[in-house]
Amino acid sequence: MTAIAPETADAGSPLPQARLGDHDAFAQIIERHEAMVYSMAYHFFNDRGRAEEIAQDVFLQLYRNLGAIESDAHLLFWLRQVTTRRCIDLTRRARLKAVRLEDVGELRAAEKRSDALLDRRLRALIEELPDIQRAVVTLRYQEDLDPSEICRIVDLPVNTVKSHLHRALQSLRRRLGEHR
Amino acid sequence: MNLENDLKRALRRESPPAGFAGRVLEQAKSGAAGSQPAGSRRRAESSPFHWWRAAAASVMLAAVLGGYALHEVAERRRGERAREQVLRAMSIASEKVRYAQQQVREIGSH
Amino acid sequence: MRKFLLILALVAVAIPASAQQVNLDFPGLADRAEEVVDVTLDSAMLRLGAKFLSGDNEDERAVRDMIKNLQGIYVRSYEFSEAGEYDRGLIDKVKSQLGPTWKALVTVRSKTKENVNIFADMHGDKVTGLVIISAEPREFTVVNIVGPIDIERLASLEGQFGIPRISRGKNSD
Repeated sequence: MTAIAPETADAGSPLPQARLGDHDAFAQIIERHEAMVYSMAYHFFNDRGRAEEIAQDVFLQLYRNLGAIESDAHLLFWLRQVTTRRCIDLTRRARLKAVRLEDVGELRAAEKRSDALLDRRLRALIEELPDIQRAVVTLRYQEDLDPSEICRIVDLPVNTVKSHLHRALQSLRRRLGEHR
Repeated sequence: MNLENDLKRALRRESPPAGFAGRVLEQAKSGAAGSQPAGSRRRAESSPFHWWRAAAASVMLAAVLGGYALHEVAERRRGERAREQVLRAMSIASEKVRYAQQQVREIGSH
Repeated sequence: MRKFLLILALVAVAIPASAQQVNLDFPGLADRAEEVVDVTLDSAMLRLGAKFLSGDNEDERAVRDMIKNLQGIYVRSYEFSEAGEYDRGLIDKVKSQLGPTWKALVTVRSKTKENVNIFADMHGDKVTGLVIISAEPREFTVVNIVGPIDIERLASLEGQFGIPRISRGKNSD
């Protein structure tokens, strides 16, 4: 027997009011989730300006589609999925890869490892990963999702997600080792 | 070096520049979003809508015993999947045609 | 220096007529690819998918309208980890299937960027099918649309819909 429960928003959630056109409620939704969406885009492209543009587009798209959002859990899933897919789509439209020369120089010249430098290096290396691997790494380590949750967002079988994650980590380890 | 811990630290969430929510809201209000939220058109229906959904859930629960709902659920899944496939295919086709058009325009402008 | 060869023809929306489905079987390509997109939608699946396209969403309404008279949509897209991992002869393999009613609408050729060939199946001045072949250094994509399609309208889709392009990995649909 299958129990079917209607989806509802959490108590105190601004979602129901936002769905009715309440702009203050929609602003609350943005404030709750802006860091997640912005960071996903930033870690994908390693570019703050671009990340803000993408985040803006995602929330405007949410505004158009609020009626289809059934619950706070669905909202979270929707934002992660749309942001991921938008980043991947933009990657595939990009015809030329911009290389920031100051980053390249600093990576090669680094002798002392510090957290800040390592973080910057990692973000640059992540940007060089194939788009699906980039998405999987971001969802795993920024959003702390496990592969069974990631596979729903990227719409891939769970074993494929695990394979992408494994290859991404192998690639990052190898490249980090090249800079020592 | 623990790569996974390093990745969690490197990929921690950060806030966008101050005023981000306000800027988005301004664009949404000015119509850059393209349309009003679909929910605002259902303002008068929100209470009966939830009642309807609860009633539909009860009906579906009874139908499960006869196997009918299982078929409906499977059909819905197929339909949703087909919808995603249609959108995916059209997205790819559109992207390629647009790229070709862009190249045509670039040639024409030289 | 980039070189472009360009052929452009005017097209119009088509009245349904006999339309050609192209063989998009590329043995072994999926195994070598890093990412694969495999879409196969015959008329039954298109009708089913159309039912689930949202009438409230402007973009999905446009798609629903565009596909209503189609007999099929087929996409094969392969992305590779390195350049040169697929045989460029595949482009000719697809083109060789196109009969005398097929006309080249656009040919974009570049040594370093994306090559795109767009062919339309013409009956009189009506388009009854479309084949798009895209060849990039690391990606090979073929789209076959069977049935009348408005190319200008297709180009005007934003390509997002909340479900922009994403790979299914090596497991096809």
